Amino acid sequence: MVIKETRWFLLNFLKLRNPIFQLPPMKSQLLRNRGQMKIQQTAFMLIAVTLFFVLVGIFVLVFMFSGLRQSATLLEEENAMLLVTKLANSPEFACMSSFGSSKLSCVDADKVMMLKEQIDKYSGFWGVAEIKIRKVYPTNGEECDFGNYPNCGVIELYSEDVNKLPAVSNFVSLCWKENSDSGIYAKCELARLMVKSEDKR
Amino acid sequence: MRKEMRKKGQEEMVGFILIIVIVAVILLIFLGFALRNSKEVEIKSYEVQGFLQSVLQYTSDCKDALGFLSIQDLIFSCYKDEGCLNEKSACEVLNSTLEEIIKESWAVGEDTPTRGYELRILPEAMGIFLKKGNVTKNYRGASRDFTKRGVDYDVLFKLYN
Repeated sequence: MVIKETRWFLLNFLKLRNPIFQLPPMKSQLLRNRGQMKIQQTAFMLIAVTLFFVLVGIFVLVFMFSGLRQSATLLEEENAMLLVTKLANSPEFACMSSFGSSKLSCVDADKVMMLKEQIDKYSGFWGVAEIKIRKVYPTNGEECDFGNYPNCGVIELYSEDVNKLPAVSNFVSLCWKENSDSGIYAKCELARLMVKSEDKR
Repeated sequence: MRKEMRKKGQEEMVGFILIIVIVAVILLIFLGFALRNSKEVEIKSYEVQGFLQSVLQYTSDCKDALGFLSIQDLIFSCYKDEGCLNEKSACEVLNSTLEEIIKESWAVGEDTPTRGYELRILPEAMGIFLKKGNVTKNYRGASRDFTKRGVDYDVLFKLYN
């Protein structure tokens, strides 16, 4: 009956007039309780239509939420990157015009090493729990101090003794003045500025 | 009477099959459209943007009369087909340095989130095109463009997920 009803609905919808689509007339002697049957058919059709729309709704919702998750990830990344970029471009870190033209996302390693010496005065200044700069290329695992600088890999600038969230980081160019036969020149390497915030949960 | 009922039954079956065929065709058309629209999706990435910006500032091993060249200066030299003081060509140094930097910066492989990468430097005449791993529909990408002496340069970097 459901099939018959669906066919009626589709045929009327498609406006087909081919005799092959025309249903045989329902004879009263074949269907005693015609009214009951009609109600049953309508009920079945309503259930089918409702199920169809529910399925379509679920489909649409899944699509919408997948986009939402992507936007949330992007927003989270954007916030993290903004925090790191804000730090990298702050006067305490930024190269400014020490290395020729002013550069974006450029950290002055000489400045950072001097800042490391005075870090007690900056407690709570940036509102983060840890700041670290790790060279990406060329790689070198050693932690930087005045004995091995600049031939080292990690500058651990600041760390609070609290529970921390996972680090957020972005690429920066780590620059310093280097001596060579032809004089002093600016040398920049690739590094990651890593920031951890306090886990307040 | 029986003959008439059999005829009616046949008509029912033919009608039912026709409807199934029509619905199947409509579904196939929808599916075809849905699949055709799934083009490459670029996710704007601040991380890749930061990477590209920092790479251009990296000081390479290529030295000319004025000093060591940054990657950006190396691109200008490569376009002019110049060489370094150590007799290597600027393009050669540019290619090898970029390859090394990407290798150290991004873990590329089948078992990692990054399946492959593609780096292209325009103008095309320079012939700098680095590619590794698989190319997929989803990628994080960034580009940096700059101009020197009337020549437009563009560095495009894509990380395939």
